[in-house]
Amino acid sequence: MSAVAFDQVTKKFGDTVAVDEFSLQIADGEFMVLLGPSGCGKSTALRMIAGLEEISSGILTIGERVVNHIPPRERDIAMVFQSYALYPHMSVEKNIESPLVANKRAKVDPIERLRRVHEAAETLGLTEYLARKPGELSGGQRQRVALARAIVRRPEVFLMDEPLSNLDAKLRTQTRLELVDLHRRLGTTFVYVTHDQVEAMTMADRIAVISEGRIQQVGAPQDVYERPANLFVASFIGSPPMNTIEGKLQGATESAPPAVLTAEGSISIGHPGSAVTGSELVLGIRPEHLHVTDPVDTPNALRGTIQNIELLGHERHVVCSVGTTLMTVRQPNDAPPVAIGQAISLQADPSGVHLFDPTSTDRLN
Amino acid sequence: MAAPARAQTRRFGNKVKDAGLAYLFLLPALIVFSVFSYYPLYRLFWYATHTQSRFRNKPASYVGLNQIKASLTSNDFISGLTHSGLYMLYTVPLGLLLGVMLAVSTHRRLKGIKVFQTIFSSTVASSVAVASVVFITLVNPEIGYFKNVPWLSLRNPSTALFAVSLSSVWQNLGLTFIVVLAALQTVPDELIEAATLDGYGAIRRFWRITVPLISPALLFLGIVLVVSALQAFAQIEILTGGGPGGATETLLFKIADPRGIRPLGVRASYSLGLFVLTAVVAGAQYSIMSKRVHYGD
Repeated sequence: MSAVAFDQVTKKFGDTVAVDEFSLQIADGEFMVLLGPSGCGKSTALRMIAGLEEISSGILTIGERVVNHIPPRERDIAMVFQSYALYPHMSVEKNIESPLVANKRAKVDPIERLRRVHEAAETLGLTEYLARKPGELSGGQRQRVALARAIVRRPEVFLMDEPLSNLDAKLRTQTRLELVDLHRRLGTTFVYVTHDQVEAMTMADRIAVISEGRIQQVGAPQDVYERPANLFVASFIGSPPMNTIEGKLQGATESAPPAVLTAEGSISIGHPGSAVTGSELVLGIRPEHLHVTDPVDTPNALRGTIQNIELLGHERHVVCSVGTTLMTVRQPNDAPPVAIGQAISLQADPSGVHLFDPTSTDRLN
Repeated sequence: MAAPARAQTRRFGNKVKDAGLAYLFLLPALIVFSVFSYYPLYRLFWYATHTQSRFRNKPASYVGLNQIKASLTSNDFISGLTHSGLYMLYTVPLGLLLGVMLAVSTHRRLKGIKVFQTIFSSTVASSVAVASVVFITLVNPEIGYFKNVPWLSLRNPSTALFAVSLSSVWQNLGLTFIVVLAALQTVPDELIEAATLDGYGAIRRFWRITVPLISPALLFLGIVLVVSALQAFAQIEILTGGGPGGATETLLFKIADPRGIRPLGVRASYSLGLFVLTAVVAGAQYSIMSKRVHYGD
């Protein structure tokens, strides 16, 4: 087991900066998810840990060792690829065994090797498929073989590059649980790359949200969800995404709490944080913190019209136009009925209102 | 039960119609094969079992299998067989090895690598005649660049066959290079990366992962190179004319017999020998290698 640490690590491909001064401490035994849209540099960061990409500048440490110039096979890591990268000409058994025979320096004697292969196969329910070729397996089974090949070497760190994206939705949910279970049993450091926020939220001890080669925020899933550090994180995490609207801060008076005045009404907020009275800012409100009320003279509400209602069975999403922006309200099914075209007011829980600086996009409260 | 019976008749009718259609589609290929393969094979057998006077002023006389037997046990045939065998041994392994080495060395992302890829594949675009003339000029004993390289001499009976083989290796290199390079490009990067992470060094990674994955291309090339070695003619005719002293007369060269030395019946018998030889070699190669060849999943 080992910790992994990025210290101002940068990766450039020609003039393109793929990873920009990355600093991140991944604790020993932690399940860290690198989350971001495609092309944000998360895979490049993972590949630098693996040693598949050279580091342009900065220091990368695994355990106590600086690994910048250590070849992949001496790093004691295992990686699961998106395509699984199984050797098509080898049986499942040979595939799983491969890391134990490939590395001459870390060679394992044949009896121990057989024991470990069978142990790994058993852990992942592959015992009956050992003699088959990868081509004769389903996507889910191939994925397990890739996992077995990773755990058989008992590495310091597991690296996973979108390992679930080639599975169908049902299998993905199931494998998610299995991965969490595997992590719990092995207690090894996992670094997991994905663009899927659900995977990140459900599996991670901590999430590092990445955009354009930079780390936007690192934190526990719930913290990242509840206190997004900037507008990118706020809109990337959460489904449906956080509603945003521009406004101007009004300070508290004796009779009223602080509020933000927008073109379509005002919204009460909690503590304004570092926001200055009278300044322009961007309001962010998650769909579950918005409430539909009657339009008759509700103070501190936004005026809107219902555009669409999405029924999801267990809840419904009411999409309203507020001026030129669309805002989504998440409602339980037993909420009072609403109709498309209806004029409504929207109120927010003051504690659920996030304030962002319109230029730096950073969080203010 | 009239209805099922009718359905059955209809099904039978459909089958006949389908089969008729299938044979119709097969017909063009059948005609081509008949005209260019099956009929010539029959004529070959006919010539091999008949003797004919050189000036064809008398009708051919049937001699049964005697002529074939005599031809295929003659010293002339054995020497042709030996030369063809050596030619194959000189050209196939070396050609394959060089092609793979060149392809591997240019299979990387480097600026200007396309220039090298173009140069290495250029022999595909030059004809055997042109390439042979270039080679003969290079080894010309008066003016050739390689005039002082003894093992490239076309005038020494002990080196001539090897020199001709080298010219063939060079001529086939473009094809081998292109096919191997294309095969290498189908090997997914992630597989090579996975092998690197597993701990394979570059050389073992190549043998354990890359070679099995490009094995269909290698099998294809092996068969193509063997067949082209057994059928080499133009380069021998241009470079040595079969000489010196018959040292480069391969089996096919004796069959083509540009000097018109051997009777038609003998050459037809040789042809049957070569036909069987080619079939056996290619068949053996296919059955041995196909056990080790991996065709994707």
